[in-house]
Amino acid sequence: MIRKTGAILLIALLAFTAAACGGSGSTNGSNASPSAGSASPSGSESSAAASPSASASAEKVKLRIYAQYADEDTKLPYDYAVAELKKEMPNVELELDIQAQDDGQKLKTYAATGNLPDIYQAGLDIINTFKQSGNIQQLDEYADKFGFKDAMQPSAMNTLVTDDGHIYAFPYAGNEMILLYYNKELFEKFGVKVPTTFDEWKTAVETFKKNGIIPLSMFAKEKWPDVALYDVFASRLDPAGITKLDKGQAKASDPAYKTAAEKLAELVKAGLLAKGATNMNYDQAAALFYEGKAAMFLNGQWEIEASTKALGDKVAWMFYPGMDAAGYESSKLVFSGGGGPGGYAVNPKSEHVELAAQVAAFMSRKYAEFKYTERGTPIVATKVDKPIVKQYPPMMQELAKVIPDMKSTAFAWGLSNPKFKAAIEDASQSLLAGTSAEQFVKEVDKAIGQ
Amino acid sequence: MHTWMIRLRRQAPLSQLLMWIYAVLSVYPLLWMVFYSLKDNNEIFVTNPFGPPLSPRFENYSTAWHSFQVPVYFLNSVLVSAATVAGAIVLSVMFAYAAARMRWRFRETARMYMVVGLFIPVQVILLPLAVLMRDIHLANSLLSLIVPYIAFNLSFATLVFYGFFRTIPFELEESACMDGASIYRTFWSIMLPIVRPAIATMIIFVFLSAWNEFPLALILISKEELKTLPLGLLFFQGQFTTDWGAMGAVMTMASLPTVLLYVFFSEKVESALTVGSAVKG
Amino acid sequence: MNKFLGNRAAVAVFILPALLLYSVIVFWPLLQTLYRSLFQWDGLNPGTFLFLDNYKELFQDELFRTSVYNGLIFAVIIAVFQIGVGTLLAFGVADAYVKGRKWLRISFFIPVVLSVTVVCQLWMAVYNGEYGLLNRLFQAFGMSYRQDWLSDPDKAIYAIAMVNAWHFMGYHFALLFAAVKSIPEHFLEAARIDGASKWKAHWLITVPLLRETYRFCLVLAVTGGLSAFAQMFIMTGGGPGTSTYTLTYLMYRSAFRINEFGYGSASAVVLVIECLIVTLLINRLVARDRIVY
Repeated sequence: MIRKTGAILLIALLAFTAAACGGSGSTNGSNASPSAGSASPSGSESSAAASPSASASAEKVKLRIYAQYADEDTKLPYDYAVAELKKEMPNVELELDIQAQDDGQKLKTYAATGNLPDIYQAGLDIINTFKQSGNIQQLDEYADKFGFKDAMQPSAMNTLVTDDGHIYAFPYAGNEMILLYYNKELFEKFGVKVPTTFDEWKTAVETFKKNGIIPLSMFAKEKWPDVALYDVFASRLDPAGITKLDKGQAKASDPAYKTAAEKLAELVKAGLLAKGATNMNYDQAAALFYEGKAAMFLNGQWEIEASTKALGDKVAWMFYPGMDAAGYESSKLVFSGGGGPGGYAVNPKSEHVELAAQVAAFMSRKYAEFKYTERGTPIVATKVDKPIVKQYPPMMQELAKVIPDMKSTAFAWGLSNPKFKAAIEDASQSLLAGTSAEQFVKEVDKAIGQ
Repeated sequence: MHTWMIRLRRQAPLSQLLMWIYAVLSVYPLLWMVFYSLKDNNEIFVTNPFGPPLSPRFENYSTAWHSFQVPVYFLNSVLVSAATVAGAIVLSVMFAYAAARMRWRFRETARMYMVVGLFIPVQVILLPLAVLMRDIHLANSLLSLIVPYIAFNLSFATLVFYGFFRTIPFELEESACMDGASIYRTFWSIMLPIVRPAIATMIIFVFLSAWNEFPLALILISKEELKTLPLGLLFFQGQFTTDWGAMGAVMTMASLPTVLLYVFFSEKVESALTVGSAVKG
Repeated sequence: MNKFLGNRAAVAVFILPALLLYSVIVFWPLLQTLYRSLFQWDGLNPGTFLFLDNYKELFQDELFRTSVYNGLIFAVIIAVFQIGVGTLLAFGVADAYVKGRKWLRISFFIPVVLSVTVVCQLWMAVYNGEYGLLNRLFQAFGMSYRQDWLSDPDKAIYAIAMVNAWHFMGYHFALLFAAVKSIPEHFLEAARIDGASKWKAHWLITVPLLRETYRFCLVLAVTGGLSAFAQMFIMTGGGPGTSTYTLTYLMYRSAFRINEFGYGSASAVVLVIECLIVTLLINRLVARDRIVY
């Protein structure tokens, strides 16, 4: 029920942008804006701003919005976007209905009872279900009209357009990735080599374990990190990672996926995780890492900010260890993570569909803008032409160097087959709790078969 | 008090000790919650999860109070719970009386039919119920909680009252009938006073279930001004993922009223119980 | 007399309001769930009629078996603990010759007053593998019996069942205590004269007199256990993996996580039927003659 910063992005599907990151990486402080995004967004923005003030300054419109508003990472960008909206379209008033962490229960009930808000946050799961039943507005026309398409980072187009070629939501976040963080000090203290292969990883686990240090801290109660860890292993052996399983192009019993499960099970058996890891929330898991009780930590790249704050220059991220030295080099740039379509969507039965679409587009861009300038994340869906207020931490700068060549797989929440998603989530958690690899393969294949 | 009982009671130090131990195990969570509400994250999770706070952080309460519409949620919870208690008890006492004492066909069937409600987890009928509430135009008012809450408590309450009514001797009605009293009058002036202990107990049970109910409220209520405490608590949990102490403060604020209410009411239950047994014995 | 208690108009006045409200709000949606269980349906779009296929699939689903099994474990633990401890404490308090009688009574009921969320948070702290109270206790007694209570697929269900058992014991205590109090004291006195010990007297006299209450408590505990949901939802999310699923959880997962509302409805229907059967069984097995003092 209680989730953290990382999980907050669970609904938000993210896309990555080489251009913005390259820009930010070379930027010192706030003197420059990423070259890629300076001209077009500002142009489209003012055109977007023109129409509402002309048409609607007289009448006040109230729109209901169902959105995340949980912690700093979601509240501050939202508040910023609302404040900007007030300047831009003073006639629009937003009534916020805070999104519950309930597997879409409330939103689906809204749809079933015809009570959908004008604007709501949608992920791929919601998009797929709602488009069949006519509960989500196709936004192709509005994406052009309000300049949203032009404002997109070219590399993040996958977060805008769904498989059927249409647009159903305005994304704000980019393609994100899973990083394996580690505490340099602990590695040095116990003379552990930063692992590059599974065998070295196992040695590291054993050494830490012997010295009373938890090798890897994870908030495995939330099931997506569990899937991510499996994906880290799977993507060493097949660059497509779990996406192939999701699309039914491979089975978990195929050698690559089976080996991945076995290797992970082996590490778990060697004592990879803390006691009760599958019952830990973010705060508990993060505390172990920050206090030097755990040597490694698994989370999305959004963790960079918090980890840097807690551990300073003691923390770094590593490339995932590979099957062997050759495998390490060849799969080094394959990262678990990615994104899919999602963001602010519009209810087609709204009394003000066009206005809602315009507001949704505006909110998404402002949301991204805030994350980019204030929250230390270059990984947003749209181009931002504002200077960065808060400089990126060193780990982010490291990351920015490899981003242009990076390939990514998919996050658990970017999977398209809900049955597979539920199955691999449950099976991965079981695997981390000590169930056998065979059992994992069996459970996952059962869901793929259907 | 009989002398033999007094003697027996004096002889049981061990069972008394065990009872006190269990009592401590029962009350400790309350203390734990209050401790929790005065700590910071580190103390909660790592250094001191169970003991009293080392340096109490009262600011947790002001943080919670200021970012949480306590008065609004509180008032809604009181209204909803009170209305639920009144409605559920009136309806179920009447039904239970007819089911336990009166003679009519399908009596057993009707009773079993009511019992089924006991096994229906609310998740099972969530979606059809939400559609229904929209169709009868109750969505987004406090009635959209009160009406289902009453209905959901009927099964349990009728069962309890049924049990009570069945233990009352039939002679009471016989004599009332002979005195020429109507059935309504008999129900009102003879039967109701006898089941008072049950009513007092059920007030607490129904109140608690309405006060703490969460899944229905989540689905049926979206307006801020209609939210009840458990709903407020949920969103508070979201907002304070990094400040667990403040969350503890909210939990404490949401729980203490029920605790106080119960402690206060338990007196009534006690006296009602004595009245009940006096009538029966 | 027959006319008096068989007054049809009066029966109608007494039963109709409750019956009507219950039928509309509880039973009608339940019928819809039953109807939907015959469809492949995602909750929004028009469904496909399958007749009994959902049920056939359900009975072959391993997760279904886990869920039923967990429900039974839950029901047994809760029933034994709540009714057993409730009885002992009810007798104890009824007999206790101490000033704090009232406070004992209040204390036993306190957990019931707390919300599921609060109680689950507490027990998560107690069960925590690293810092948990339980493991610390074992440590304090010099035992190296440290466990991953909630993260061990084989133990988690028992650990959660104990939380529920502890949480609602007070309910059963209150019901039993009220029943014990309503038994006229001369009943026990008679036994005393025969020379029976206190506990023996209770066993011989009080327990049989509490039959109605036991029946009720048993129905309550068992059906509550079979349909458990909230505790696992908060404490383990059904995990690790699927090891703490119950039928209600299966329904939740099917309906909301994988959009198979029809299938979820089928598991809900099975749950309701299961509870109904158990209730009928309990009614049969626990004698049902009316007690007359």
